[in-house]
Amino acid sequence: MEFDFNFMIVALKAAIKFTPVSLVLAFVPLVIGIILGTFVAITRVYKVKVLCKLSQIYVVIIKGIPVSLILLIMYFGLIQGFDVIAELFHWTIRSKDIDLIYVAIIGLSIYAIATISEIIRGGLMSVDEGQYEASYSVGMSKTQTLSRIILPQIFPVVVPMLCSSLIGLFKGSSVAFLISVTDVMNGALITATGNYLFLEAYVAAAIVYWVICIIFERVSYILEKHLKQYGKGVAL
Amino acid sequence: MGKMFDFKLIFKDLPQLLSCLHITLLIVVSATVIGLILGIVLALFRLYKIPILSQLATIYISFNRGTPMIVQLFIVYFGLPSVLLIIGIDINRWDKLYFVIITYGLNAAAFMSEIIRASILSVDFGQTEAAYSVGMTRLQTFSRIVAPQSLLIALPNLGTSFLGLLQDTSLAFTIGIIDVMGKAKAIGATTYHSIEAYIAAAIIFLVLGTLLEKGFILIEKRVEYKKVSLKL
Repeated sequence: MEFDFNFMIVALKAAIKFTPVSLVLAFVPLVIGIILGTFVAITRVYKVKVLCKLSQIYVVIIKGIPVSLILLIMYFGLIQGFDVIAELFHWTIRSKDIDLIYVAIIGLSIYAIATISEIIRGGLMSVDEGQYEASYSVGMSKTQTLSRIILPQIFPVVVPMLCSSLIGLFKGSSVAFLISVTDVMNGALITATGNYLFLEAYVAAAIVYWVICIIFERVSYILEKHLKQYGKGVAL
Repeated sequence: MGKMFDFKLIFKDLPQLLSCLHITLLIVVSATVIGLILGIVLALFRLYKIPILSQLATIYISFNRGTPMIVQLFIVYFGLPSVLLIIGIDINRWDKLYFVIITYGLNAAAFMSEIIRASILSVDFGQTEAAYSVGMTRLQTFSRIVAPQSLLIALPNLGTSFLGLLQDTSLAFTIGIIDVMGKAKAIGATTYHSIEAYIAAAIIFLVLGTLLEKGFILIEKRVEYKKVSLKL
């Protein structure tokens, strides 16, 4: 079997066309993960009653399960369970009306919240205890302490890790093809269904993923350098 | 479709899935072994800055880190037979399991070489100088002084990468391997109760992952103890 270079270009074009879908699948869970992950991390650091235990259980369970399983469980939960619930409440929508990209986004967000909350928790713990004490002693409330003193300080620690978590999510979004979301991977594969040149399609998808990941890495590197300078300024 | 969720089915599926657990473990363990050996070689290429090989290793590692596991799996599955056919080896009849092990091994090699490289670099250069000054050769210095120290540093990260590998094996079923995930898919296809089977698989991954994590923490503690006693 010869490697069909021309067909790879065709698949590459198709894959590039679906890059926005993969980017959405990476960025939306990242944003949701940062917002809710911070919340989860704060409940754990401040040892909020009940919530602390709940978030601990959540993180342990989600981190222990592969992303592909989370997505598949949600997908089959949707097609097995949603119609029953919809009938019960007399909703007019059925599971087949729901765009599967939402399932993928929710599934990846569930995963992102768990991993990002661990990153932010690590950041919060890395801030010296004295900082909390100092801001309490000048009369700041807990929320003020967090938003004015602690969160700005964890930025340089957390941002590089968030970038690698973004790369992880971007690569993880390829799993969405299991529930037939048309992302970079499926976009490239669809072109190959007619002529069975799957290898070319996969190589095309790999090139797209690779290039975008390299761009992410570069941006992360620049950001890291920038934030390091900022961190030094604070220490002075 | 449309069947109600049956809680009891999860427990009925568990023994069936556990009967396929050895395939998952086989993939993880053999990939780790391949990854460690190849990873050390790649790390040494980059550390000693061997021309051409070092650059090739960098590209190889970047490719493995920058593309999803599943894409690599299919590239090896579809591409390796044609590549090897050029040099006259026919592997079209090979069991799919070999392709999976090769892919995961190659992938693990990239990640582990980075861990190994970082851990070797973190050993103070004074150690190497001291070893040279007492008349050790390069090989002796590496095997007796640098390698044991860097191994202690690398161990926690290698544990993490082992756990990551375990989770990644959940993708092997896409090319038709009957491991825990593949079995879950098969059960789902015959009984139409996919979600119960996948939840059972999730439980297996969760329990196995937690146990392994606990094991690694134990090993780390022992190593920590050794590190302290070395310093004394």
